[in-house]
Amino acid sequence: MPHEYSSSEEDVAFSRLIGKRRSIRGYLAATLYILAGTLLTTPLRGVLDLSNVALLYVLAVVLNGVRYGRGVAIFAAVFGSLVFAYVFVPPHFSLAITEIQYLLSAVIMLVVALLVGHVTANLRSHSEVVEAQAAQNKALYEFARQLTATRSSEAVLETSLRFLERNFAARHAHLIGPEQVHSAANALADAALIQASRERRQLLTRPTAVAANVVALLPLLTAESGHGVICFEVAASQLETQSQREFLETVGSLIAVALERTHYAEVAQEVELRHAAATLRNTILSSLSHDMRTPLTALVGTADTLMLAPMLPPEKQHALLSGLREQAQSIFQFVNNLLDMARLQSGGVELNLAWQPIEEVVGVTLQQIKSIAEARQIGLSIDPDLPPVLIDAVLIERALWNLLENAIKYSPADSPVELAIRRLGDELDIAVGDRGEGLPTENVEALFGLFQRGHAESSVPGAGLGLAIVKNIAEAHHGRLTANRRKGGGSCFHLRLPLGQAPCLALEDEA
Amino acid sequence: MSEPERILLIEDDKRIREFVSSALEAEGYRVFEAGTAGWGASEAARHKPHLVMLDLGLPDRDGSEFIRDFRGWSTVPILIVSARADEKGKVEALDSGADDYLTKPFGVPELLARVRALLRRAPVQRLESNPIIEFGDFIIDCVGRTVSKAGQPIKLSQIEYRLLLAMAGNPGRVLTHRQLLVQVWGGQAADNHEYLRVYVGHLRQKIEIHPAQPRHILTEIGIGYRFQP
Repeated sequence: MPHEYSSSEEDVAFSRLIGKRRSIRGYLAATLYILAGTLLTTPLRGVLDLSNVALLYVLAVVLNGVRYGRGVAIFAAVFGSLVFAYVFVPPHFSLAITEIQYLLSAVIMLVVALLVGHVTANLRSHSEVVEAQAAQNKALYEFARQLTATRSSEAVLETSLRFLERNFAARHAHLIGPEQVHSAANALADAALIQASRERRQLLTRPTAVAANVVALLPLLTAESGHGVICFEVAASQLETQSQREFLETVGSLIAVALERTHYAEVAQEVELRHAAATLRNTILSSLSHDMRTPLTALVGTADTLMLAPMLPPEKQHALLSGLREQAQSIFQFVNNLLDMARLQSGGVELNLAWQPIEEVVGVTLQQIKSIAEARQIGLSIDPDLPPVLIDAVLIERALWNLLENAIKYSPADSPVELAIRRLGDELDIAVGDRGEGLPTENVEALFGLFQRGHAESSVPGAGLGLAIVKNIAEAHHGRLTANRRKGGGSCFHLRLPLGQAPCLALEDEA
Repeated sequence: MSEPERILLIEDDKRIREFVSSALEAEGYRVFEAGTAGWGASEAARHKPHLVMLDLGLPDRDGSEFIRDFRGWSTVPILIVSARADEKGKVEALDSGADDYLTKPFGVPELLARVRALLRRAPVQRLESNPIIEFGDFIIDCVGRTVSKAGQPIKLSQIEYRLLLAMAGNPGRVLTHRQLLVQVWGGQAADNHEYLRVYVGHLRQKIEIHPAQPRHILTEIGIGYRFQP
């Protein structure tokens, strides 16, 4: 497929062409300069001393030499001395040089030209090296910066391959991992070459069928361990000089360091995840063993009592039976919470959003809460004319229920529980307040975590899931949950939901 | 004493069948049991029950499918008993023609109340035979198209009236959003739940004492509304 490589060949030809054009321009400029200078000074021939005129030619040599390099300088010197001899040195308009001093000045001009040309050529190649190094440093700096932004090995690799493609016009670049040395032998590289590159810890190249191209094997090595070799095809001119190869090797070690960093970061993250999972498992287990065993023990015990003592007076029996039901109900609630939490945490909940009047949800919640509120009065205050909110009514009802249940559970049976709903700026504020013993003084936020309870081993049944569920639901609605201590005792939880722009409904009211 | 009312219980869990049928029998109903949808269909054809209690998750087929087939030849009320927590399954079953649902776990008093309400309900005959619907202090006169509370007329818009009639004509029954929209607005409005909510809100303002804590028009969240006389 020779056409595939044509682009770089064109590049090379093009740069050569540019070089040629540049030197042609130099010769032309030198010729013009000398001819113009000669024409200008010819009328003054009688006035000017010959040595001054000769200095003008020296100036031409120096200027063109600095500008266009050694070749042009020599050309200017030779051409200049010829013109000088022809026009100015008597006999005029002849090349016969009669006086030895003029011959000397021609020789001096040539020497000056050689010196100037040499010095400028050195300077130029020096500055080209410096420029190339600056460009390399800039590219390396950019590359290093891109690498620091990567978070995974895949991203490092992608960034690296992209860098090689852009800066070296590398093709077919790919990574051969440490374990794939043998299996990865392919059209580009064989196993022995890959192995050699790894062992010698240096960049190796191999010619390809296309003469202008080579296959390069760049080992990625750090002090710790090898990460493999990057294999790619590249134009041979890209790896001609020692500095180009060193540059590529520096790139290789940058990639290796980045890979090592992401590798350890991934390991650390995995360890952390495993640790978090283990902690969660332990909390679930201890919570299960406390919060499930208690009601289950009561359940089994009550059922046994009823079976073993059939002669119990009816009112005693009734009390035991209603206890049985209550315990079962609390287990049901617990399992429900666990399932809800699992669903919310797994992200498996699709919000069923609709514009709802909040009163509708409140009404349902108050209806539902009756079963546990018993005689508790729940004070309700709703701002009139609240706009509808975009919510998943079922989830918000669940959140509201949890907040009310909490308030009822954690406050004395004769104290009031209040539910207040109002508009606060562009948010809807649903506040549930109680007159219980209040929140812990520090780290209130921790209460919203999974399996967090205000008081561990509290006699109030629960597993510390309720508030975590509310928080999850609030966040799913781009809202938030906050809590504060109330003046005069007790606590108040605020569920804040963003109020959007409700759609206008064209109501056809034909009263 | 007339013949006891017959209830068909289609439920695959034996323990639930046991306690439900003993609770129903203790109330004087006659109960037939079935463990699968196929078995239930043949029992229904044989015994002509007055009420069907149906579990949605049956081993041989989905409860909603059973309802669609059953509605092809019977208008007997169906009470869904479901362990499914998501509303979608319930709405589907109700849309296919079920009348009410209970979510597991449920208490026996609640079960009996629902059964009684469904057996009492015969909305079609009622509207044909008696054009007056009464609940609380309210009287709806279906001929004069008027609603009054304690003798005082209440002003309702056309849509509010149709909505109230649709609900009050089916006391105790859960009506899904879709069912109400189709009945009140016609088929093309079946997805405009917002309209329905707004009109239910208006209606509550006019007939409820505390619109935020309604006594008659109850919200079945995520599903629809239930009218409680």
